[in-house]
Amino acid sequence: MVHVEIKAEELFAIGPLIVTNSMVGVLLASVVLLLATWWFTRRSAVVPSRGQSMIELPIEFLAGVVRGTGGKRWRQFAPLILAIFLYVLVANWLSLLPGVGTIGLAEEVDGEKIIVPFVRAGAADLNFTLGLALISFVAFIAFGLRANGLRGYLKELLIAEPAYMTPLLTPIHLISELSRVISLSMRLFGNVFAGEVLLATMLALTTATVFILPLAFVVPGVFLGLELLFGLVQALVFALLSMTYITLAIAEHRQHGSDDHSGEAPEQGAAPAHGSA
Amino acid sequence: MGPDQGDNNGAPPPNWGVAFDLGLRLGISVILGVGGGLLLDSWLHTSPIFTLVGMVLGIGAAMYTIWDVAKQSMGR
Repeated sequence: MVHVEIKAEELFAIGPLIVTNSMVGVLLASVVLLLATWWFTRRSAVVPSRGQSMIELPIEFLAGVVRGTGGKRWRQFAPLILAIFLYVLVANWLSLLPGVGTIGLAEEVDGEKIIVPFVRAGAADLNFTLGLALISFVAFIAFGLRANGLRGYLKELLIAEPAYMTPLLTPIHLISELSRVISLSMRLFGNVFAGEVLLATMLALTTATVFILPLAFVVPGVFLGLELLFGLVQALVFALLSMTYITLAIAEHRQHGSDDHSGEAPEQGAAPAHGSA
Repeated sequence: MGPDQGDNNGAPPPNWGVAFDLGLRLGISVILGVGGGLLLDSWLHTSPIFTLVGMVLGIGAAMYTIWDVAKQSMGR
Protein backbone atom coordinates (compact mmCIF):
# COMPACT_ATOMS: atom_id res chain seq x y z
CA MET A 1 0.00 0.00 0.00
CA VAL A 2 1.52 3.33 -1.10
CA HIS A 3 1.23 5.84 1.70
CA VAL A 4 3.11 9.14 1.76
CA GLU A 5 1.72 11.71 4.14
CA ILE A 6 2.30 15.34 3.12
CA LYS A 7 2.80 16.41 6.73
CA ALA A 8 5.32 14.79 8.99
CA GLU A 9 3.89 12.10 11.28
CA GLU A 10 4.04 12.45 15.04
CA LEU A 11 6.18 9.86 16.82
CA PHE A 12 6.02 10.98 20.45
CA ALA A 13 5.81 14.12 22.55
CA ILE A 14 8.17 15.53 25.17
CA GLY A 15 5.91 17.87 27.10
CA PRO A 16 4.61 20.45 24.62
CA LEU A 17 7.24 19.47 22.03
CA ILE A 18 5.88 17.07 19.43
CA VAL A 19 8.63 15.01 17.85
CA THR A 20 7.93 14.06 14.23
CA ASN A 21 9.74 11.62 11.99
CA SER A 22 11.15 14.42 9.83
CA MET A 23 12.64 15.99 12.96
CA VAL A 24 14.43 12.69 13.57
CA GLY A 25 15.73 12.82 9.98
CA VAL A 26 17.03 16.36 10.43
CA LEU A 27 18.60 15.50 13.79
CA LEU A 28 20.36 12.53 12.20
CA ALA A 29 21.73 14.82 9.48
CA SER A 30 22.98 17.23 12.16
CA VAL A 31 24.65 14.39 14.08
CA VAL A 32 26.31 13.06 10.92
CA LEU A 33 27.61 16.52 10.05
CA LEU A 34 28.86 17.17 13.60
CA LEU A 35 30.63 13.79 13.74
CA ALA A 36 32.16 14.40 10.30
CA THR A 37 33.36 17.83 11.44
CA TRP A 38 34.84 16.38 14.63
CA TRP A 39 36.57 13.58 12.73
CA PHE A 40 37.74 15.90 9.97
CA THR A 41 39.24 18.53 12.26
CA ARG A 42 41.10 15.88 14.27
CA ARG A 43 42.54 13.94 11.36
CA SER A 44 42.98 16.47 8.59
CA ALA A 45 46.47 16.95 7.18
CA VAL A 46 48.07 19.51 4.90
CA VAL A 47 48.80 16.72 2.44
CA PRO A 48 45.36 15.09 2.29
CA SER A 49 44.80 11.35 2.37
CA ARG A 50 42.45 9.70 -0.09
CA GLY A 51 39.52 9.87 2.37
CA GLN A 52 40.21 13.50 3.18
CA SER A 53 40.34 14.33 -0.52
CA MET A 54 36.94 12.70 -0.99
CA ILE A 55 35.44 14.87 1.76
CA GLU A 56 37.20 17.99 0.52
CA LEU A 57 36.01 17.50 -3.07
CA PRO A 58 32.44 18.90 -2.72
CA ILE A 59 33.63 21.61 -0.34
CA GLU A 60 36.37 22.71 -2.74
CA PHE A 61 33.90 22.65 -5.63
CA LEU A 62 31.38 24.89 -3.89
CA ALA A 63 34.11 27.14 -2.51
CA GLY A 64 35.25 27.58 -6.13
CA VAL A 65 31.72 28.51 -7.18
CA VAL A 66 31.35 31.02 -4.31
CA ARG A 67 34.79 32.47 -5.05
CA GLY A 68 34.00 32.77 -8.75
CA THR A 69 30.53 34.26 -8.50
CA GLY A 70 30.24 35.70 -5.01
CA GLY A 71 32.02 38.99 -5.66
CA LYS A 72 34.80 40.54 -3.64
CA ARG A 73 33.37 39.75 -0.23
CA TRP A 74 32.87 36.05 -0.82
CA ARG A 75 34.88 35.14 2.28
CA GLN A 76 32.23 36.76 4.53
CA PHE A 77 29.40 34.49 3.47
CA ALA A 78 31.22 31.41 2.11
CA PRO A 79 30.91 29.53 5.47
CA LEU A 80 27.14 30.09 5.57
CA ILE A 81 26.67 28.96 1.97
CA LEU A 82 28.85 25.87 2.52
CA ALA A 83 26.96 25.02 5.72
CA ILE A 84 23.59 25.30 3.97
CA PHE A 85 24.84 23.18 1.06
CA LEU A 86 26.26 20.41 3.26
CA TYR A 87 23.23 20.38 5.56
CA VAL A 88 20.72 20.04 2.73
CA LEU A 89 22.94 17.54 0.91
CA VAL A 90 23.37 15.28 3.94
CA ALA A 91 19.66 15.53 4.83
CA ASN A 92 18.72 14.61 1.24
CA TRP A 93 21.15 11.72 0.91
CA LEU A 94 20.32 10.29 4.34
CA SER A 95 16.75 9.86 3.16
CA LEU A 96 17.95 7.37 0.53
CA LEU A 97 19.41 4.96 3.08
CA PRO A 98 17.63 1.63 3.56
CA GLY A 99 15.06 1.83 6.33
CA VAL A 100 14.38 5.55 6.04
CA GLY A 101 10.70 5.93 5.21
CA THR A 102 10.12 2.18 5.26
CA ILE A 103 10.72 0.96 8.83
CA GLY A 104 8.22 2.17 11.38
CA LEU A 105 5.15 1.46 13.43
CA ALA A 106 2.13 -0.20 11.84
CA GLU A 107 -1.05 1.80 12.42
CA GLU A 108 -4.59 1.45 11.25
CA VAL A 109 -6.14 4.55 9.67
CA ASP A 110 -9.67 4.39 8.20
CA GLY A 111 -9.54 0.60 8.21
CA GLU A 112 -6.26 0.47 6.29
CA LYS A 113 -2.94 -0.59 7.72
CA ILE A 114 -0.17 1.94 7.10
CA ILE A 115 3.39 2.26 8.31
CA VAL A 116 4.42 5.39 10.17
CA PRO A 117 8.17 5.52 9.52
CA PHE A 118 10.59 6.30 12.34
CA VAL A 119 12.71 8.49 10.05
CA ARG A 120 11.61 10.61 7.12
CA ALA A 121 13.55 12.86 4.74
CA GLY A 122 14.07 16.19 6.50
CA ALA A 123 13.40 18.29 3.40
CA ALA A 124 10.13 16.41 2.78
CA ASP A 125 8.73 18.57 5.60
CA LEU A 126 7.95 22.22 4.79
CA ASN A 127 8.94 23.26 8.33
CA PHE A 128 12.58 22.38 7.66
CA THR A 129 12.80 24.04 4.25
CA LEU A 130 10.96 27.14 5.44
CA GLY A 131 13.31 27.38 8.43
CA LEU A 132 16.35 27.21 6.14
CA ALA A 133 14.81 29.77 3.77
CA LEU A 134 14.20 32.13 6.70
CA ILE A 135 17.83 31.76 7.79
CA SER A 136 18.87 32.62 4.25
CA PHE A 137 16.43 35.56 4.18
CA VAL A 138 17.74 36.96 7.47
CA ALA A 139 21.30 36.52 6.18
CA PHE A 140 20.78 38.53 3.01
CA ILE A 141 18.92 41.25 4.90
CA ALA A 142 21.80 41.36 7.39
CA PHE A 143 24.38 41.64 4.61
CA GLY A 144 22.26 44.33 2.94
CA LEU A 145 22.08 46.25 6.22
CA ARG A 146 25.80 45.87 6.73
CA ALA A 147 26.55 47.20 3.27
CA ASN A 148 23.92 49.98 3.10
CA GLY A 149 23.31 50.84 6.75
CA LEU A 150 19.78 50.83 8.21
CA ARG A 151 18.78 54.12 6.63
CA GLY A 152 20.13 53.24 3.22
CA TYR A 153 18.58 49.80 3.33
CA LEU A 154 15.12 51.09 4.30
CA LYS A 155 15.37 53.81 1.67
CA GLU A 156 16.28 51.21 -0.92
CA LEU A 157 13.42 48.94 0.18
CA LEU A 158 10.61 51.42 0.77
CA ILE A 159 11.21 54.50 -1.37
CA ALA A 160 10.96 54.22 -5.14
CA GLU A 161 12.43 56.43 -7.81
CA PRO A 162 10.71 58.67 -8.83
CA ALA A 163 9.23 59.27 -5.36
CA TYR A 164 5.63 59.66 -6.55
CA MET A 165 5.69 55.98 -7.60
CA THR A 166 6.36 54.87 -4.00
CA PRO A 167 2.72 53.95 -3.11
CA LEU A 168 2.60 51.59 -6.09
CA LEU A 169 6.16 50.25 -6.15
CA THR A 170 6.69 49.65 -2.42
CA PRO A 171 4.05 46.88 -2.10
CA ILE A 172 5.31 45.39 -5.36
CA HIS A 173 8.83 45.43 -3.98
CA LEU A 174 7.73 43.83 -0.69
CA ILE A 175 5.83 41.06 -2.51
CA SER A 176 8.87 40.43 -4.68
CA GLU A 177 11.13 40.17 -1.61
CA LEU A 178 8.72 37.83 0.17
CA SER A 179 8.45 35.62 -2.89
CA ARG A 180 12.14 34.75 -2.48
CA VAL A 181 11.55 33.00 0.86
CA ILE A 182 8.55 31.07 -0.39
CA SER A 183 10.28 30.17 -3.65
CA LEU A 184 13.36 28.84 -1.81
CA SER A 185 11.35 26.75 0.64
CA MET A 186 8.70 25.44 -1.77
CA ARG A 187 11.23 24.37 -4.41
CA LEU A 188 13.25 22.22 -2.02
CA PHE A 189 10.17 20.80 -0.31
CA GLY A 190 8.41 20.09 -3.61
CA ASN A 191 11.36 18.32 -5.17
CA VAL A 192 12.21 16.16 -2.17
CA PHE A 193 8.59 15.30 -1.40
CA ALA A 194 7.96 14.42 -5.05
CA GLY A 195 11.03 12.19 -4.92
CA GLU A 196 9.65 10.41 -1.85
CA VAL A 197 6.32 9.81 -3.58
CA LEU A 198 8.06 8.61 -6.74
CA LEU A 199 10.24 6.14 -4.84
CA ALA A 200 7.29 4.82 -2.82
CA THR A 201 5.25 4.37 -6.01
CA MET A 202 8.07 2.60 -7.84
CA LEU A 203 8.67 0.28 -4.88
CA ALA A 204 4.96 -0.52 -4.66
CA LEU A 205 4.73 -1.20 -8.40
CA THR A 206 7.76 -3.45 -8.51
CA THR A 207 7.18 -5.32 -5.25
CA ALA A 208 4.59 -7.39 -7.09
CA THR A 209 7.28 -8.48 -9.55
CA VAL A 210 9.74 -9.58 -6.88
CA PHE A 211 9.90 -13.04 -8.44
CA ILE A 212 10.71 -11.67 -11.90
CA LEU A 213 14.28 -10.66 -11.30
CA PRO A 214 15.93 -8.27 -11.91
CA LEU A 215 12.98 -5.89 -12.44
CA ALA A 216 12.17 -5.62 -8.74
CA PHE A 217 15.68 -4.37 -7.99
CA VAL A 218 16.66 -2.53 -11.15
CA VAL A 219 13.70 -0.13 -11.41
CA PRO A 220 13.85 1.24 -7.83
CA GLY A 221 17.66 1.27 -8.18
CA VAL A 222 17.46 3.57 -11.20
CA PHE A 223 15.17 5.96 -9.36
CA LEU A 224 17.35 5.87 -6.24
CA GLY A 225 20.29 6.89 -8.46
CA LEU A 226 18.24 9.74 -9.88
CA GLU A 227 17.28 10.85 -6.36
CA LEU A 228 20.97 10.86 -5.47
CA LEU A 229 21.55 13.32 -8.31
CA PHE A 230 18.46 15.42 -7.53
CA GLY A 231 19.50 15.64 -3.88
CA LEU A 232 22.85 17.11 -4.94
CA VAL A 233 21.27 19.50 -7.47
CA GLN A 234 18.67 20.76 -4.99
CA ALA A 235 21.30 21.35 -2.31
CA LEU A 236 23.40 23.22 -4.86
CA VAL A 237 20.46 25.31 -6.09
CA PHE A 238 19.41 26.26 -2.56
CA ALA A 239 22.95 27.27 -1.59
CA LEU A 240 23.65 29.15 -4.82
CA LEU A 241 20.38 31.09 -4.72
CA SER A 242 21.13 32.11 -1.14
CA MET A 243 24.53 33.25 -2.35
CA THR A 244 23.01 35.15 -5.28
CA TYR A 245 20.63 37.00 -2.97
CA ILE A 246 23.45 37.94 -0.59
CA THR A 247 25.67 39.04 -3.47
CA LEU A 248 22.86 41.21 -4.83
CA ALA A 249 22.22 42.75 -1.41
CA ILE A 250 25.87 43.78 -1.27
CA ALA A 251 26.00 44.78 -4.95
CA GLU A 252 23.11 47.24 -4.52
CA HIS A 253 25.38 49.14 -2.19
CA ARG A 254 28.15 49.31 -4.77
CA GLN A 255 25.86 50.61 -7.47
CA HIS A 256 24.45 53.38 -5.32
CA GLY A 257 27.93 54.35 -4.20
CA SER A 258 27.00 55.14 -0.60
CA ASP A 259 29.41 54.92 2.32
CA ASP A 260 30.75 51.58 3.39
CA HIS A 261 29.28 50.47 6.72
CA SER A 262 31.01 47.12 6.86
CA GLY A 263 34.24 48.50 8.19
CA GLU A 264 36.19 47.09 5.26
CA ALA A 265 38.58 48.95 3.03
CA PRO A 266 37.25 49.73 -0.44
CA GLU A 267 38.25 47.07 -2.89
CA GLN A 268 40.04 47.55 -6.16
CA GLY A 269 38.36 46.76 -9.43
CA ALA A 270 34.94 46.06 -8.03
CA ALA A 271 32.72 43.78 -10.05
CA PRO A 272 30.10 45.45 -12.24
CA ALA A 273 26.95 46.49 -10.48
CA HIS A 274 24.03 44.08 -10.70
CA GLY A 275 21.19 46.53 -10.61
CA SER A 276 18.91 47.53 -7.83
CA ALA A 277 16.19 45.43 -6.33
CA MET B 1 41.48 28.75 -0.03
CA GLY B 2 42.60 30.56 -3.11
CA PRO B 3 42.93 34.21 -3.94
CA ASP B 4 40.03 36.58 -3.64
CA GLN B 5 39.27 36.61 -7.30
CA GLY B 6 40.31 35.35 -10.64
CA ASP B 7 39.83 31.67 -11.34
CA ASN B 8 36.38 30.21 -11.67
CA ASN B 9 37.55 26.62 -11.06
CA GLY B 10 35.13 25.22 -13.61
CA ALA B 11 32.26 26.84 -11.76
CA PRO B 12 28.92 27.31 -13.50
CA PRO B 13 28.40 30.67 -15.23
CA PRO B 14 27.34 33.57 -12.98
CA ASN B 15 23.68 33.85 -12.06
CA TRP B 16 22.79 30.42 -13.44
CA GLY B 17 20.91 29.66 -10.22
CA VAL B 18 18.54 32.54 -10.93
CA ALA B 19 17.14 30.54 -13.87
CA PHE B 20 15.85 27.97 -11.34
CA ASP B 21 14.32 30.73 -9.31
CA LEU B 22 12.60 32.98 -11.81
CA GLY B 23 9.72 30.76 -12.95
CA LEU B 24 8.66 29.88 -9.42
CA ARG B 25 8.88 33.47 -8.21
CA LEU B 26 6.57 34.70 -10.97
CA GLY B 27 3.80 32.36 -9.83
CA ILE B 28 4.40 32.97 -6.14
CA SER B 29 4.22 36.76 -6.60
CA VAL B 30 0.73 36.51 -8.12
CA ILE B 31 -0.40 33.99 -5.47
CA LEU B 32 0.89 36.25 -2.69
CA GLY B 33 -0.91 39.28 -4.11
CA VAL B 34 -4.22 37.50 -4.65
CA GLY B 35 -3.96 35.62 -1.33
CA GLY B 36 -3.22 38.80 0.59
CA GLY B 37 -6.14 40.53 -1.14
CA LEU B 38 -8.51 37.68 -0.31
CA LEU B 39 -7.43 37.75 3.34
CA LEU B 40 -7.93 41.52 3.58
CA ASP B 41 -11.33 41.25 1.89
CA SER B 42 -12.52 38.54 4.27
CA TRP B 43 -11.25 40.55 7.23
CA LEU B 44 -12.65 43.95 6.18
CA HIS B 45 -15.71 42.63 4.27
CA THR B 46 -14.79 44.64 1.19
CA SER B 47 -14.85 41.87 -1.40
CA PRO B 48 -13.67 42.04 -4.18
CA ILE B 49 -11.74 45.32 -3.92
CA PHE B 50 -8.56 44.11 -2.24
CA THR B 51 -8.55 40.87 -4.21
CA LEU B 52 -8.41 42.89 -7.42
CA VAL B 53 -5.83 45.29 -6.00
CA GLY B 54 -3.78 42.31 -4.78
CA MET B 55 -3.98 40.68 -8.18
CA VAL B 56 -2.71 43.83 -9.89
CA LEU B 57 0.09 44.16 -7.34
CA GLY B 58 0.99 40.47 -7.67
CA ILE B 59 1.18 40.67 -11.45
CA GLY B 60 3.16 43.90 -11.07
CA ALA B 61 5.55 42.15 -8.67
CA ALA B 62 5.99 39.30 -11.17
CA MET B 63 6.84 41.79 -13.94
CA TYR B 64 9.14 43.66 -11.59
CA THR B 65 10.95 40.40 -10.80
CA ILE B 66 11.55 39.74 -14.51
CA TRP B 67 12.82 43.28 -15.00
CA ASP B 68 15.05 43.04 -11.94
CA VAL B 69 16.58 39.69 -12.91
CA ALA B 70 17.12 40.84 -16.52
CA LYS B 71 18.81 44.02 -15.28
CA GLN B 72 21.09 42.03 -12.97
CA SER B 73 22.03 39.62 -15.74
CA MET B 74 22.77 42.43 -18.19
CA GLY B 75 24.80 44.19 -15.49
CA ARG B 76 27.16 41.21 -15.42
